[in-house]
Amino acid sequence: MSVRTLEGNARFWALAACLFWLAFTLFPLYWVVITSFKSPLGVVGGPTYIPFVDFEPTLTAWSELLSGQRGQFFSTFIASTIIGLSAAFLATAIGSMAAYALVRFTFEVRLLSAVIFVVIAFGGYLLCRHYLGVGQATSLIYAFIAALALSIISSRFKLPGPVLGNDDIVFWFVSQRMFPPIVAAFALYLMYTEMGKLGFKLVDTYWGLTFAYIAFSLPIVIWLMRDFFAALPIEVEEAAMVDNVPTWRIFFGIVLPMSKPGLIATFMITLAFVWNEFLFALFLTNSKWQTLPILVAGQNSQRGDEWWSISAAALVAIIPMVVMAGLLSRLMRSGLLLGAIK
Amino acid sequence: MSQVRLQQVTKSFGSVTVIPPLDLTIADKEFVVLVGPSGCGKTTTLRMIAGLEQATSGEIRIGDRDVTALRPGLRNCSMVFQNYALYPHMTVAENIGYGMKVRGTPKAEIDKAVTEAARILNLGAYLARKPSALSGGQRQRVAIGRAIVRQPDVFLFDEPLSNLDAKLRIEMRTEIKLLHRRLQTTVVYVTHDQVEAMTMADRVVVMNQGRIEQAADPITLYESPRNLFVAAFIGAPSMNFIEGSLDQGDGGPVFRGQDGVSVPIPAERVSALSPYAGQAVILGIRPEHTAPASGSDPSIKLKVTDIEPLGPHTLAIGKAGGAAFTAQMPANTRVGPDDSVDVQLDAQKMHFFLKSNGEALPR
Repeated sequence: MSVRTLEGNARFWALAACLFWLAFTLFPLYWVVITSFKSPLGVVGGPTYIPFVDFEPTLTAWSELLSGQRGQFFSTFIASTIIGLSAAFLATAIGSMAAYALVRFTFEVRLLSAVIFVVIAFGGYLLCRHYLGVGQATSLIYAFIAALALSIISSRFKLPGPVLGNDDIVFWFVSQRMFPPIVAAFALYLMYTEMGKLGFKLVDTYWGLTFAYIAFSLPIVIWLMRDFFAALPIEVEEAAMVDNVPTWRIFFGIVLPMSKPGLIATFMITLAFVWNEFLFALFLTNSKWQTLPILVAGQNSQRGDEWWSISAAALVAIIPMVVMAGLLSRLMRSGLLLGAIK
Repeated sequence: MSQVRLQQVTKSFGSVTVIPPLDLTIADKEFVVLVGPSGCGKTTTLRMIAGLEQATSGEIRIGDRDVTALRPGLRNCSMVFQNYALYPHMTVAENIGYGMKVRGTPKAEIDKAVTEAARILNLGAYLARKPSALSGGQRQRVAIGRAIVRQPDVFLFDEPLSNLDAKLRIEMRTEIKLLHRRLQTTVVYVTHDQVEAMTMADRVVVMNQGRIEQAADPITLYESPRNLFVAAFIGAPSMNFIEGSLDQGDGGPVFRGQDGVSVPIPAERVSALSPYAGQAVILGIRPEHTAPASGSDPSIKLKVTDIEPLGPHTLAIGKAGGAAFTAQMPANTRVGPDDSVDVQLDAQKMHFFLKSNGEALPR
């Protein structure tokens, strides 16, 4: 049933409800737009709705924002763009490979190997830190490498205990998004500062923030792309295998082009996440690589809520995403698989 | 030489054995069809030859190479899939030439091979199209073109015609046969359709539950099926079976079934069948070897429940000797449901099977 088949009163009410909902969702956006053109007096002096009738629009908020009086607008915008695009691209690329592997190959990880990893990682860190007197970051690195090596070696033996399969691995990935990000943000900040002491500056650098975003986007990317890859007809890949096409070429030459709509959708979701992310940006940057959400929040200054400049900054943060979504959604058309199989 | 040999090949998925030890030799340039009901292991066998499934044990040889442990790409087979499995983002020409392009063949050579394949398969006008702009038959021809340019040792077909409509299927049947005659390459072809198997194969391999029931040329399968399964599987409409036993009658040995069925054994088969006297056997007769009773051949009474007028002849479906029975009548025969007719069996075409193990008795 669709709205088109409705008749008479039913049709009228359905349309009215839809229009009401449209107004309800569009009004905040409209309010932000007109607020950004109001003068400070116009904002605090009670609600006004229609430009030129209710109030005289001014460009004060915009000129303040663009001239840099309200924070380094241009560098922030550029930082957001670079970090957003590259983190979304890298996360989609790496996550797709992981997702493809999880769909097409069978993994068997013994639970005991995972336990060995955890025990060695924690135990090794404590050992290095408290008994051998090694620095924090160095102990972390040693413990991690030892744990990884031992768990990989141990997985070669037929250890007793349950065996984890692909679904368990995917669940493990997704489970990383279940705890509150603030838990990780603190730990990450500490780790980054320790790394900084070793000479690898990560706080307030491009790589520091990008790494964090890639790590936190991967679970979602893997989860989404796994479903897209699982829906692909395996015969197409088998045909290529029989035709002696190398695996990497099957992935890049056949699988990725076939899942283009999925890749773009995933890229878009990741980009939206990274673009709007606030917490990590707050912890891991301070000036040079600050992103737009920090700038918007920064408009809420000591002088009180300056809604006019918050509105202008918020619009600047919204518009690029609207444009991106508009451009990419045209590429997201379905039906790309048409003709591959019956 | 591209003979294919499977020696003691088995396949298990976990604890489930789908192929018990299987031996099969496919001669060079032979067109072999693996046929059987779904789940009989025919596709698994094909995929093991292709390398898409690893054999659990045993040895697979193509020509004089042991390919058991080789990955699919190194076996020099081409495979055509039931659902075409084309690359949807490439044109027809790119689809056909992709394998060569990946292997680094010079462009001029690829173009030549693609043009030649397109000429053989009548795809010349569609080379620039994407698969989505083609019909089912054309798509399957593209898949076959992709297989041809590989110049493989063996062609593997996995139910390639199952997704086509009936008319196109018959056309493509002929095309694939012609292609085999032209290319002179070994073909292993999997289908569940016994008509397709009979019409295309040099040799048909009838499979059931992972075992080979009988491997022979189509006429041998039809005329002397080795057991009940093959007898029932080959031929449409299916062979009639009446249970009973071999007894000694007044004028020599007779087959006795329920409802007073009594069929004298023809004199020339008495010596072959006499060792089985007194045993439970099954009489098999194909509908096309029955007719309205007249003359000296043995006859049985058929209680008709339905008739199927097919044009050239009419099928009378009903019960005889306690079993479902289909008899073939001349088109002008006036029979209807609830009629009772005497049906004559062609004594020369009768088959006898042991009830205990289903094996055919010697002729």
